[in-house]
Amino acid sequence: MSTDAGPAAEAARARKARRERTERFTRHAILLAWTAFIAFPIFWMISTSFKDAGEWVAWPPHWLPHEPTLHNYAQIFAFGALDPTLSRQATEQAFTIWKGLGDATIVCTTASLLALLLGTFLAYAISRFNVGGKYFRHTILMIRMIPPIVVAISILIYYAIIIPYLTTALFGVRVSLFDTYVGLILIYAVTTLPFVIWMMLTFIDEVPYTLEHAARLMGAGRLQVIRRVVLPLVASGMVVTFLFVFILNWAEFLLALTLTHPEVTTLTVLLNKFQSAAEGRLYGPQAAIGTVVTIPVVVLGLLIQKHLVKGFSFGTIRK
Amino acid sequence: MASIALQNLVKTFGTYTAVSGINLDIRDGEFLIMVGPSGCGKTTTLNMISGLETPTSGKIVIGDTVVNDLEPGERGLGMVFQDLALFPHMTVFENIAFGLRVRKLPAAEIMRRVTAAAQAMHIAPLLGKLPRQCSGGESQRVALARTIVTNPAVFLMDEPLSSLDAKLRVDMRTELKRLHGQLKATFIYVTHDQAEAMTMADRIVVMSKGRIEQLGTPLEIYNRPATRFVAGFFGMPTMNFLEGVVEAGAGSSLFRGRGIEQPLPASRSGNLNGGAVSLGVRSEHVLIDGAAQTPGTARLLEPLGDATLVHFDAAEGMSLVAKVPPDTALTPGAPLKFRFAPDHCHLFDAESGQRCA
Repeated sequence: MSTDAGPAAEAARARKARRERTERFTRHAILLAWTAFIAFPIFWMISTSFKDAGEWVAWPPHWLPHEPTLHNYAQIFAFGALDPTLSRQATEQAFTIWKGLGDATIVCTTASLLALLLGTFLAYAISRFNVGGKYFRHTILMIRMIPPIVVAISILIYYAIIIPYLTTALFGVRVSLFDTYVGLILIYAVTTLPFVIWMMLTFIDEVPYTLEHAARLMGAGRLQVIRRVVLPLVASGMVVTFLFVFILNWAEFLLALTLTHPEVTTLTVLLNKFQSAAEGRLYGPQAAIGTVVTIPVVVLGLLIQKHLVKGFSFGTIRK
Repeated sequence: MASIALQNLVKTFGTYTAVSGINLDIRDGEFLIMVGPSGCGKTTTLNMISGLETPTSGKIVIGDTVVNDLEPGERGLGMVFQDLALFPHMTVFENIAFGLRVRKLPAAEIMRRVTAAAQAMHIAPLLGKLPRQCSGGESQRVALARTIVTNPAVFLMDEPLSSLDAKLRVDMRTELKRLHGQLKATFIYVTHDQAEAMTMADRIVVMSKGRIEQLGTPLEIYNRPATRFVAGFFGMPTMNFLEGVVEAGAGSSLFRGRGIEQPLPASRSGNLNGGAVSLGVRSEHVLIDGAAQTPGTARLLEPLGDATLVHFDAAEGMSLVAKVPPDTALTPGAPLKFRFAPDHCHLFDAESGQRCA
C-alpha cells in the first residue's frame, strides 16, 4: 500500500467504517425488537404473578403491579387447607402446585429415563447391525412427525376401553391404563423414543468400530464392550438427550389432558384447571405456577447448552 | 502351539468375493506378512483369523483347534489396529490393563503386568496420561504394550505403522522385529507397503483379488516372482515389462518383441518356442555399458545417491528404467545403448501371467 493514496484511502476507510456501523446498528435494532417480542409474554407472566386479583385484567394495563403481592405464590405453595387470610372469593378452590409438580416429576423423569435406556440400545443395534435396513433411521423420525392429536383418541380408547375389557375377559382382572402413572409414562416414553434413537445414533455412529473390535479381542463380551467402551464414550450425549426429552415431556399437554383425570395431574394440565366460577380464569396463581415451572426448564436449557457443545464436539476425541 | 492353518477359506459380501478359497499354513513363531494392494483380501483374511469376520466357508485352525465358532476373545490372539483403537476415555494404564480387567485378574497382578509391559515398551512415564496426550509413536507403543500384556501366542497387526511419519515407521519396524525375537510369538502382519514386508518378514504372502499369488521368503519373492503381478508389485522402481515371443534356436533361444532381441539362456526358455510372453527385467539388470547394442534416448534422471535411475525411451515409444552407478555421465536427451542381463530376465506367460520355467 502506497502512502500517496492517503486521502482517498482515508475516505474509503471512513466510508467502510460508517457502513459497518450502520449495519451493526440495524442488526442490533432488529435483534432487540425480536427479543422484546419474544420476551414480553414471559415478562407479563412474571409481572402478573405478583399482582392481586383486581390488577390481572386492569385497563389500561398495569405493566408492573401497583400493589405487589406474594399472595399468588403463598397460594400455590400452600400446604393443606387454605389459610383464611389467603382465601378469597375468587380462589375458594385451593389450587396448589404440589400435586402437579410431584406427578410431572415422576412421570417425566421415569418416562425420559425409560426412553433413554431403550433408545440407546436400539440406536446401538441400528448403528452397528443395520437393524431395519438402510432407511430405518429416517423412518423412525418420520413416526415422530405424526401430530399427537392423531393418536390421542385412539390411545384413549385403548387405555380406557379396550385394555380394561380385554384384561377383564381374559384374566378376570380389570386393568386400566387411563389416568395412571404407568399409562402416561408409557405413552411419553413411546412418543419420545424416536428422538432418543435419532440423537443417540449420531453419538454412537461417532464411536469407531475398531474400539469395540479391540475390546472384543481382549476378551470382552458384547455387553461388556457396551458398558466399558461405548457407554462411557456416549455419556455426555446421553445427558443431552435426556435433558432434551425431559423438556419435551415436561411441556407436553395434549396427551396428559386426554389420558388423565382426575388422579394424575401434570403441571400443564394443572395450569389449565385454574378457573373459578366467580371470576373466570385465575391469572395470578396461573402466572405464579408458570413462573415456577419455567425455572427448571431454563436451568436444564442452560445445562443442555454446555453439554451440547461437549456432546457434539465428541468427534474430535477420536484418536 | 500357535501354528495357524487356513483351509479353503472363503469370504463373500453379497455378490462380492473378498477372499476366494485360500490355503495357508503359518508356522509357530513365524513373522508372516500379508501384502497386496487395497481390496486384495488381506485385511478380511486377518479379520477372519481374529474372529471379527465369520468365514463364508472353510476352516481356521489355531494349534489343534478349529476356531471358526470361537469368540474373538477366546482365540488367544492379540491385535494391533490400523487406527490403534486406544480407548480415548481411559488412561494409558487402563488401556493396557483392559484385557486383564476383563479376565478379572487380582489388582496386584494387573499392576505388576501393566508396569512390566509399559517398561518393555519404554512408556512407563505415560501411564497416567490419556491417549490424546500421547504422540503418534507413543500411541503406537501403548497399543503394542496393550497387546503384549495378555501374552498372546499370536499377534495380528493390521497396517499398524501406516499412520506414522517415514522416519518413525522405519524405527518401529526395527522395534517390531526386536519384539518378535523377544516374544517368540507368531506374528501375522498386514501391509500394502512392500518395504515393510521385505524388511521384517520371515515369509511373505502376496495377495491379489482374494487369492494368494505367492508365498515365500522375501528374497524368493524378489528373485523368483511366481507371477507377473508379484514381479510388478515388489521392487522400486517397478520392473520393466516387454511383450513378445520366444524363438528357440539351437543351444540358446531369443526373446523378440517391440524392436528388441534378447538372447536367453536355454534353461530359461524351455519349450516356449513361439509362445507369447512378457519379459520382465528389474532396473538394476538393465545395463548401459560398452557391450550394449540396443539404442535408446535418456529422458529423465533421478539421482538416489547410491545409484541413479535413468528413465529412457527405446524403440516403438517403449519407456524403460535402468539403475546405473551414481557417477553416470548421461544427461536428458542424450542417446544411449542398453542391454538386459540374460540371467535376470523373467518370463511370464502373456495370458495367465504365470512364471514360465
